Amino acid sequence: MRIRSDVRRLFRLGLRRPELARGEVDDEITFHIDARIEQLVALGLSRDEARAEAMRRFGDVAQARASIGASAARRAARLAFRDRVAALGDDLRYVVRSLASSRAFTLTVVATFALAIGANAAMFGIIDRLLVRGPEHIVAPERVKRLYISLSDEIHGQETAPSFGYVSYAFLRDQSRTLDGAAAYTHGYEYTLGSGPDAQRIKVAHVSWDLFPLLGVGPQLGRFFSAQEDHPPDGQRVLVLDESYWKRRFGGDRAVLGHTVLLDGQAYTIVGVAPSGFTGVELRRTDAWAPISLLHPTKDWPTAWNVEYLQVIARLKPGITPEVASAEATLLHRANYTGKSRIMPSAQLAFRPISSGRSGKESLEASVSRWLTGVSIIVLVIACANITNLLLARSTRRRREIAVRIAMGITRARLMRLLLTESILLALLGSACGLALAYWGGALIRTMLLPNVDWPSSPVNGRVLLVALSLATVTGVVVGAVPALQTRRLDLTGSLKSGSHQAGTQRSRLRSWLVFAQSALSVILLIGAGLFVRSLLKVRSIDLGFRPDRVLSAQIAWLRMVNPTPEESERERTRRRGVYIRALDRLRATPGVHAAALAVGTPFGNSFSPDVWVPGYDSIPDLGGGGPYVSAVTDGYLDATEIRLLEGRAFTPGDRAGSERVTIVNEPMATALWPGQSPLGKCLQVFTKTLPCARVVGVVGQVRRFALREKPAIQLYVPFGQETGIGGTVLLVRTSGDPTDFIPLLRRVLRDVDPNVPYTFVNTMQEDIDPLVRPWRMGAILFGILGGLALAIAAIGLYSVIAYMVAQRMQEFGVRLALGATTRRILSLVISRGMFVVLTGLVVGQFVALLSANYLTPLLFETSTRDPLTFGAAALMLVTVAILACLLPAFRATRVDPVIALRAD
Amino acid sequence: MAVDSIALMRGTLDALVLKTLTWGPMHGFEITTWIEQHSGGRLDVEDSALYQALRRLEERELIEAEWGITDNNRKARYYRITSGGRAHLRAETSRWLKYAETVNDILTVATKA
Repeated sequence: MRIRSDVRRLFRLGLRRPELARGEVDDEITFHIDARIEQLVALGLSRDEARAEAMRRFGDVAQARASIGASAARRAARLAFRDRVAALGDDLRYVVRSLASSRAFTLTVVATFALAIGANAAMFGIIDRLLVRGPEHIVAPERVKRLYISLSDEIHGQETAPSFGYVSYAFLRDQSRTLDGAAAYTHGYEYTLGSGPDAQRIKVAHVSWDLFPLLGVGPQLGRFFSAQEDHPPDGQRVLVLDESYWKRRFGGDRAVLGHTVLLDGQAYTIVGVAPSGFTGVELRRTDAWAPISLLHPTKDWPTAWNVEYLQVIARLKPGITPEVASAEATLLHRANYTGKSRIMPSAQLAFRPISSGRSGKESLEASVSRWLTGVSIIVLVIACANITNLLLARSTRRRREIAVRIAMGITRARLMRLLLTESILLALLGSACGLALAYWGGALIRTMLLPNVDWPSSPVNGRVLLVALSLATVTGVVVGAVPALQTRRLDLTGSLKSGSHQAGTQRSRLRSWLVFAQSALSVILLIGAGLFVRSLLKVRSIDLGFRPDRVLSAQIAWLRMVNPTPEESERERTRRRGVYIRALDRLRATPGVHAAALAVGTPFGNSFSPDVWVPGYDSIPDLGGGGPYVSAVTDGYLDATEIRLLEGRAFTPGDRAGSERVTIVNEPMATALWPGQSPLGKCLQVFTKTLPCARVVGVVGQVRRFALREKPAIQLYVPFGQETGIGGTVLLVRTSGDPTDFIPLLRRVLRDVDPNVPYTFVNTMQEDIDPLVRPWRMGAILFGILGGLALAIAAIGLYSVIAYMVAQRMQEFGVRLALGATTRRILSLVISRGMFVVLTGLVVGQFVALLSANYLTPLLFETSTRDPLTFGAAALMLVTVAILACLLPAFRATRVDPVIALRAD
Repeated sequence: MAVDSIALMRGTLDALVLKTLTWGPMHGFEITTWIEQHSGGRLDVEDSALYQALRRLEERELIEAEWGITDNNRKARYYRITSGGRAHLRAETSRWLKYAETVNDILTVATKA
């Protein structure tokens, strides 16, 4: 009889085990020899003769047994494997069929998985780049550290920064015995590459020649620059291109090597191309690399101690701890220091990880990302709780079906395998959708919130894929395990006899616990989101002293002059000034321009602090914020920036080069220098002591210059044209509409005024402020999204539990209604059941949030981690959503027809 | 036992077994007997070689096996040819005939006296 393989599996027939197959071989040989003996006996031989002949004819029995047995065993093993694969295929087919038949369930579970796994995959992609992997192409990155200097004085307290002069890099490189070399770099230079219509603005990093060997990176093409090309007093004009810029601008042409390009009008030779994805020790996009010796911040830059424009990195020798290297660096600094500063000789130098931010601590972006990763893991936990919940409800509904299957002889192991197959399949489907979400979401997070990072091309790479798949498998097993284990406790006869809607109380208790956990976790996330939103609102409402919105700032990138004579530079200065002034006049006559002005020294732009003398004072007091800061501005400056005029007058067109020297001071200066008096009419000297003194004509409010939160500083303004020794004119335009619409017009005006104007750098003032607000915006948006997600998932969970409870107790509600219970009574019965679970979760969640929110303090902006408004809002939100989730099934409970309910089953 | 029995060439036995099974499912002893009868006793098949051939064919899925009951009420392993086996037999037969024809042609060329 031939038995179909699936039937055989079902009844565990014809076990294909290798040992069994060997036994069969013996049976077969014995049968053959017996049959042969019978045949020979029938031909007239004696039994003994027949046996001898049969054996002879058979040949070597032992050898035959061995080789036939081996063959049989091989075949059995192969068939067993095939059976297992076929069984998996059967399981999958069965699972797919059953999932397809309950589409709403499948969709809910897959969507929940997709959101949770997608959020985790997206966050992993970001944190992997920011914190785990760091910049690419660095050999043994754990030994590469950045140098920080800590200075302390009585006024400012301790300040830490990664800023050094060339001289610090040089002594470390030459004298250290704990380092395998040091290198210096500085980012953020922008040059105009080329000229004419296809001129481009590019970002250039100046680096010391030894940065490349220190990191252990080799060029993709050509070479990096050499020690001879980067040597004080002047570097060679050589350029190493970034790989992606090389592809974009030069189409990946290998012939660019040796070519000359113009940077700000000066010829540079391209000597090499850096490998793909190389960004130095930071993650910022860089288009080209040039020698550091080309930068001349001061005349005596190779030995100057008072100019700090470089970041220094070093490679520690193997086995050297950062502490040892830091101690040596501090000693070397003190031994080498020859400057005049009072506090520099006692400075502390320290090596910190290269992922550290400017203050030497982890950057705010990185901390926020770390938190968000934690949050997305919580969302995943909530999602798992919820899916477990849904699977439990489903397995309860299918109890009778499962009992029938067990009665039919399916093993419990097989049943568990089926349930796990189902949950893993759901998780895999979810993670596939989740990866699509991570692709879009990751790209969005990158461009919106971390635009300065040079990201690899796709938000979903191999590592993200791997993480998503592992998450899917693990969560699939976890959520499937609970219902699968519960089948062990299934009471067979009871399930077969009773209707499908009667389920164990144990199970519904477990489901309530899951909803409780979800409520608690969601409320924690909602509180976190709320704290970030409050911080963001606080940051937004900060009074900067001016209004950056709708202000464009434009600066012409003038070509550098080659060895000009003093007369030539003076003539050029006058010419440039003329271009700006004519542009200003044109713009003021343009409709849509609310106000326009020229300024040297702007908030969040350039700052200058020349010498200031005030009669009666030996020195100008420092109010904590540095300074005094001086800006030279035209009339209209206060209108363009909306800085408040408190007393006196603003500058007029009459205040200009050659007119009476006047000045406007800020309020902190007025109160600090002339307490109790009006500063108007007072006299002070700016720039040099030989100049006549400037009369104070006005007082304005204080303006933030560098940071959202800073100590007050003395600021004063002189008329544009009366300044000496400071330069870098900026054109400010306040528009009445969206300022970005105005950019093309602005460029056209500048070109009309002077057709030879090179590249003009235009941005909105808001763009200078946004990076400072970004960490809070990132926190508020992403925390908000994840918190909302958690809430939605928890609501689904609650709904399913309540709906299920209502379905189970239909009969009871029917009886209650028949006995005269009011609709209200039924509603409150159902809702109170759900709300009890949610409110318990709410209280516990609030409590946990209260205890743990302290860890969030460093990330918040002037917001208490116990902010009652936030806690209240989170609670209100959860309660509202929970009531809505209960209402729907509750109404269903009130509409039970008692007759039908009682007749069922 | 024929005196001038021919030693079987490797691979030929497989074809003979397949051919035998085209008459219907048989157990190992029936196959031996069938080959002996139809070769007029001229082919000397060692029994162990036959069983190895059967397992070989089974592994290649040219035949399949099932335990069954003989007329004498004994348990025996019955073999049946599969569709793959039939195809294989056809190919083998035509190959063999061509080979035999060629050898025959060469050997029967009239030699110079």
